[in-house]
Amino acid sequence: MHKTSAVGILANPAAGRDIRRLVAQASVFPLAEKCNMISRLLSALGAGGVDEVYMMPDAGGISRRLLRMLQTPSLQPRPPVTFFDMPVVDGAADTLLAVERMVEAGVGAIVVLGGDGTHRLVAQVCGDTPLTALSTGTNNVFPALREATIAGLATALVATGQVTDDGATCSNKALRVSVNGTRDLALVDICVSTALWTGSKAVWRVDSLSQLFVAFAEADAVGLSSVAGLIRPVSRRDHAGVRLDLAPPGEAAMSVTAPIAPGLVVPVGVAAVHDLLPGERQTVCAPQGVIALDGEREIEFTDGDRVAVWLDDDGPRTIDVERVMARAAHSGLLTSTDQTLSNPLQKGDSTDAAEQG
Amino acid sequence: MQLNKDDALRAYRTMKTIRVFEDRVHVEFETGEVPGFVHLYAGEEAIATGVCLHLDDGDRIASTHRGHGHCIAKGCDVRGMMAEIYGRKPGLCAGKGGSMHIADLTKGMMGANGIVGGAPPLVCGAGLAAKTLGNGRVAVGFVGDGGSNQGTTHESLNLASVWQLPCIFVVENNGYAEATSVKYSTACDDLADRASGFNMPGIVVDGHDFFEVYEVAGEAIDRARAGGGPTLIECKVNRYYGHFEGDAQTYRAPDEVENVRQNRDCIDNFAARAVSAGLVQEDDLASIDRDISDLIEDAVNLAKAAPKPEAEDLLTDVYVSY
Amino acid sequence: MGIKTFQQAISEALALEMERDERVIVMGEDIVGGSGADGEMDAWGGPLGVTKGLWGKFGDRVLDTPITESAFIGAAIGAATTGLRPVVELMFIDFMGVCFDQIFNQAAKFRYMFGGKAETPVVIRTMFGAGLRAAAQHSQCLYPLFTHIPGLKVVVPSTPYDAKGLLIEAIRDNDPVIFCEHKLLYTQEGEVPDEAYTIPFGEAAVVREGEDLTIVTLGRMVHRAVEAAEALAGSGIDCEIVDLRTTSPMDEDAILESVENTGRLVVVDEANPRCNIATDISALVAQSAFDALKAPIRMVTAPHSPVPFSDALEDLYIPTAASIEAAARELAEYRS
Repeated sequence: MHKTSAVGILANPAAGRDIRRLVAQASVFPLAEKCNMISRLLSALGAGGVDEVYMMPDAGGISRRLLRMLQTPSLQPRPPVTFFDMPVVDGAADTLLAVERMVEAGVGAIVVLGGDGTHRLVAQVCGDTPLTALSTGTNNVFPALREATIAGLATALVATGQVTDDGATCSNKALRVSVNGTRDLALVDICVSTALWTGSKAVWRVDSLSQLFVAFAEADAVGLSSVAGLIRPVSRRDHAGVRLDLAPPGEAAMSVTAPIAPGLVVPVGVAAVHDLLPGERQTVCAPQGVIALDGEREIEFTDGDRVAVWLDDDGPRTIDVERVMARAAHSGLLTSTDQTLSNPLQKGDSTDAAEQG
Repeated sequence: MQLNKDDALRAYRTMKTIRVFEDRVHVEFETGEVPGFVHLYAGEEAIATGVCLHLDDGDRIASTHRGHGHCIAKGCDVRGMMAEIYGRKPGLCAGKGGSMHIADLTKGMMGANGIVGGAPPLVCGAGLAAKTLGNGRVAVGFVGDGGSNQGTTHESLNLASVWQLPCIFVVENNGYAEATSVKYSTACDDLADRASGFNMPGIVVDGHDFFEVYEVAGEAIDRARAGGGPTLIECKVNRYYGHFEGDAQTYRAPDEVENVRQNRDCIDNFAARAVSAGLVQEDDLASIDRDISDLIEDAVNLAKAAPKPEAEDLLTDVYVSY
Repeated sequence: MGIKTFQQAISEALALEMERDERVIVMGEDIVGGSGADGEMDAWGGPLGVTKGLWGKFGDRVLDTPITESAFIGAAIGAATTGLRPVVELMFIDFMGVCFDQIFNQAAKFRYMFGGKAETPVVIRTMFGAGLRAAAQHSQCLYPLFTHIPGLKVVVPSTPYDAKGLLIEAIRDNDPVIFCEHKLLYTQEGEVPDEAYTIPFGEAAVVREGEDLTIVTLGRMVHRAVEAAEALAGSGIDCEIVDLRTTSPMDEDAILESVENTGRLVVVDEANPRCNIATDISALVAQSAFDALKAPIRMVTAPHSPVPFSDALEDLYIPTAASIEAAARELAEYRS
């Protein structure tokens, strides 16, 4: 009898219906598909030995749909789902409260379904609980687009303690911003623009961008971090990040043709490239403007405001699905043998896995 | 998308005019002097303003039963509107239309509409006219969350997409179709999601945020003008008054409106951000406030003093010729 | 000038007006026929071929619509208030049920509601009438419903000549016009000039002069009335036939003048009997020419039932020359 293992699932009902649908042919990710993802997750969590799942109630319709779905019989046994008894305000506060409750309940992992914004919120309060970051849509850099079944299996293996070694999860960096002492964070990039106001959240015009801070930048990423990724890639596991000073393409020494949003590949002028070391306070050059966190304009500031940005190495821990599944194969975690029958791996040529296991 | 000082001041003037107009009609209605059915737009000002700031008189809009805000934002004469609401002869529609049917075609305002879901087919027509005449005009149809469930809306979204019309459909989702919650009446997650079934972009915006409405509407309108076809924009918003004047609103949570008024008011929010960003100065806004206060006072006094239509007006304007 | 069918007359009117005024567009279901399909464009030219050939001449101004009457009738109305002069086809008048709001709450009311500031020059062409074994949802005579609505004009032509002249008038008119074409008249032939001409609304045609009895009628029933009148003439009953041509506006003077003259009135209307054109005219005459009447008014109409499918029943449903003749004889022989 092993001890009870629980997993939290945090699904944001409101992700991804912004201006990128209009200006960049962004994908549409309906609630029904989120619920299908959760259903597949639940099957995999059950198969992986998770006994209990905690979720956030929501006004957007995910909990309502799921409750209906859970009443219908499934071919695959699913662990019982508990929706927290909590007030629902249909906003960011719901996510913060639900994740706090999940941590209190001692879940072994939290699966997050949402975009960069949702993950940013979760990261504020999840502490050391590892996250499985799943993207719902094409607009995201931090969470991966990945089949929920596999993510569920990997999450179960970590949450139940079947995979424990350090390689199963990795720590992430985080970018912090403080405006007059009020803090926020980004997981991928922080961009400063000299625009006077935020309209729709997404950043999709580059003419007024002045500075870009990235925690990691991959050459094959989509989003603002791709500007750095195409000239000075840094991995999620590298110690430092990168800071770019931006300028209109005609006025800068270098121009990078970057996929700053899905369907939007535009030239971005880069005037200077700097290392960004953890803990180093960065000055924001623009006297007033707008700060975008992971590609979403969130903060307006003016010349009276005290603005600082820095990189931290204490971001959320995330489950490395590929490594966990490789470990599962290696250790035969999802394998059982019947001694009365001959072992198929000990016949013929396919002996490697069994011998290694 | 840029917004210069003049635009910002125009936006403020429009939103504030709508607010003061509606607040005053609310007060005047209680005296019993305002006849008929009146549906107030207060709380939703950022939507009409953020959209119509991109339009001029040659562009068309069609509206809903909650149409005062759209009329003001599209440039209808405020005194004429007030006189119309009082049923007076100098009213914009000669006292024959009333609150639910204010129109001024010379301003591109195709009418408030007493039929829920009335606007979308009409703006398809305005879009078709623009496309046929090749004049670069666009047409914007406003519907509520209630109207979004009407067949006319669905049919029009399809037709506009099939014909690639320069139309923008703005769904003002204020949470209630009369007294019935959108959570009850609507099977989709977001009303904007319906757009994908008609092969057009569907965007959700915060209808309390002028800047967001302005930016998204601007992109959609530019796209339509350039021949890119229709867009559906869902604005999530709250109305400050009831469905109609006299609605006790017992179906709403007791603190629902107060919370929004305190924390998310579109005009307060706009003023604070525009001043903070240095787009406008406090003094500019105070001066506009005084103008508006005078304007509405004048409009009400003129309306009350204006003559009503006479017997000979009963049978005119049925036809152009008969 | 030449002998043309009712259908050709309508097609000619559309082509002439589209030629004359590029604001005129034509739209409706399958009026081109074949849009988006792999075969021919202009395959149908309307379900009965009335608009065939227009697309070849006028291209994008002739538009197939999806089957979405609320949207495209509404769009035609919206386009009419914003610079076009659309002629939109509502395939069968029975389909008004799915778009009536656009017609009676929108088009009909704009001018009045907006204090005289709107013009809505839209023509809604629509096919009506029984006799094609098309059953209850494709055979009705619903023009009385339109006639009831202030703000609409309603045209019900009976001959190719009238169809052309009235349609051109309708297209040039600045109010919304419902143009009702009886589906059994399309093959009717008659003299039709080649050039454009108009027939004013509200002017009935006296298609047969007579002294003894007035038959007021419209649409296909005009021809049945003529047939009846010829039979009655053999018995020495001399009928005058007034073809209304438009039910809104309605030529009250022509009706009253004829009744003042003859003193006897039969009204023939293919519509169902309650609140139809026959009751309307009967009320008019009872109110305004009571003293001239030498006999009660007789109404010959369809019965108060849906249009049946079986030919055995449909033939009973539609007023016939014989039923008109019988009503007329009864009046001619009436002695108070």
